[in-house]
Amino acid sequence: MKLSVIVSLVLALLGSTAWAQVEGGRSGAHGSAIIMFVAFVMVTLGITYWAARRTRTAKDFYAAGGGITGFQNGLAIAGDYMSAASFLGIAGLVYLSGFDGLIYAIGFLVGWPIVLLLIAEPLRNLGRYTFADVASFRLRQRPIRILAASGSLVTVIFYLIAQMVGAGKLIEVLFGLPYEAAVFIVGILMTLYVTFGGMLATTWVQLIKAVLLLSGASLMAFLVLASFGFSFENMFAAATAVHKNGAAIMEPGTLVSDPISAISLGMALMFGTAGLPHILMRFFTVRDAIQARRSVFYATGFIGYFYILTFIIGFGAIVLLLRNPDYFTDGALIGGGNMAAIHLSHALGGDLLLGFISAVAFATILAVVSGLTLAGSSAISHDLYATLFLKGQHNEKKEIRASRIATVGLGIIAVLLGIVFENQNVAFMVGLAFCVAASANFPILLLSMYWRKLTTRGAVIGGSLGLATAVILVVIGPTVWVDAFGFEEAIFPYKYPAIFSVSIAFIGIWIFSLLDKSSSAQAEQQAFETQFVRSQTGIGIDKAVEH
Amino acid sequence: MTLLTVDELKHQPEYQALTRARARITWILSAAVILVYFALILLIAFTPESLGRPLGDGVTSIGIALGLGVILFCFVITGIYVYYANHVLEPLTRAVVQKVEHAS
Repeated sequence: MKLSVIVSLVLALLGSTAWAQVEGGRSGAHGSAIIMFVAFVMVTLGITYWAARRTRTAKDFYAAGGGITGFQNGLAIAGDYMSAASFLGIAGLVYLSGFDGLIYAIGFLVGWPIVLLLIAEPLRNLGRYTFADVASFRLRQRPIRILAASGSLVTVIFYLIAQMVGAGKLIEVLFGLPYEAAVFIVGILMTLYVTFGGMLATTWVQLIKAVLLLSGASLMAFLVLASFGFSFENMFAAATAVHKNGAAIMEPGTLVSDPISAISLGMALMFGTAGLPHILMRFFTVRDAIQARRSVFYATGFIGYFYILTFIIGFGAIVLLLRNPDYFTDGALIGGGNMAAIHLSHALGGDLLLGFISAVAFATILAVVSGLTLAGSSAISHDLYATLFLKGQHNEKKEIRASRIATVGLGIIAVLLGIVFENQNVAFMVGLAFCVAASANFPILLLSMYWRKLTTRGAVIGGSLGLATAVILVVIGPTVWVDAFGFEEAIFPYKYPAIFSVSIAFIGIWIFSLLDKSSSAQAEQQAFETQFVRSQTGIGIDKAVEH
Repeated sequence: MTLLTVDELKHQPEYQALTRARARITWILSAAVILVYFALILLIAFTPESLGRPLGDGVTSIGIALGLGVILFCFVITGIYVYYANHVLEPLTRAVVQKVEHAS
């Protein structure tokens, strides 16, 4: 109950600030939409709270009592994955440059077949939940855990920035607050949400969120298509007529203007999905392998459908917003490109739809953000702190304290970086998170399951090289060096470093594994057979032998 | 009591049938997804104009049709694998598990 009181207090505060500003005559705040927004957020949080209360044990959390079907689990996977940032971001990219948004939509989906074909089943058969667990099946725990935690932490931070920018802009537009204040409020809300027991992203919560987001997006896409007589051709024709780039929005252009960036972006999106720290667990929420496979099939369907909707929404925004000066100040869309979908909801359904879509987007962001913060703080407390400082000795009290501090720390980092990256497209920021995951986590995950000769030394050196390359190249690239630090020219010319960092990771792992002639390396290579047999059949071979 | 070691299991025909079938389907389908996706990415990288050409008389471009096609393709590939795994790999796995249980 404590939590809902805090949330309502913060929302009431927000509401009254906004009212004061409406009366003060400041434009930008939508009076009745705010009431809708607060009401919908409260209802969503209420449902979340109710669902979270039904979850008592860790087994409930992951397995939802064991009674989840493949279809339901597919929805939950989709709910985990369809963050509001990608909804706002892809719609925003389509709005700004047409076709280029579709590249992200495809990329975010195309990782799923790869996860299903190469990663999901061995992982399930091995009985491991995360890539750190899989890699330490035959490699040494300590160095692998430290590396895995670092990779996950960086991924989580990039992901968090995207969600913060999305939520901050949303609050800015809806309540007419300054952006910095909006991000600050979101940061406080998210930290409270997690530290006061938090609401875990249970299977049921994700399922409900997925249904809400899918229905909201479906409704918007339906209304958009209806206004063009359900003809894509009419919609594209109207869009090319009003967009300043004209027919150029039907082909790749501004976003990926050179081959290196295109290939790099492609690699990051395809291989990043498998390396995300919070996705793989959901293969364990169903009874057996058959249902697990089915759930990925449904998830792929929902996610693909969702991104097609987002694409339609982006084109709808081009036509319906560009014709209407109400959504612009000084020739720029209020709140920037990330808000295209939000303004479109107002253009389509007035304050009612605006309130609903904003609330669904905001509640989704809050759920994703708290899930990410939990993943990040557990990487710090459980993996880094416990492995490095407690030397592996279990001390729950100290670990919990470390995780509280980590949560607040992550909240502060997220707010600061959210302000720094205010004007970045959020789908692009999510893409950077994928890039880090593809460079640091994915190579180790893949090779630990399929390559006999992988050793701890190879994995640690190669993985660190991949992680360091990805981070350094992003920092000296255009996004941080020019946009955030304000230098004139970037040292590294490409926005996405994946083509370099993923290659360096694979080559590093390969060379240093082959050079490793130590006795532990031989033992690790021999253990591959046992691991492989188990990953293929799911039989705990050791147990079978002891019978 | 007979023991079935990892080494012995590796030489069982049931186990070999399973690993072979799984390797074949997963690598063929993965290669298909990677090829199709990177074919599109390479088109985007090297000949963006060709993707902008209209499909038929209107403004809908080849690129947009291909892009939506890739999304559909991913869904179909997933479907093929799920069908194959549930109907072919699953019985093969059960055969291996039975073999191990009989041996012990």
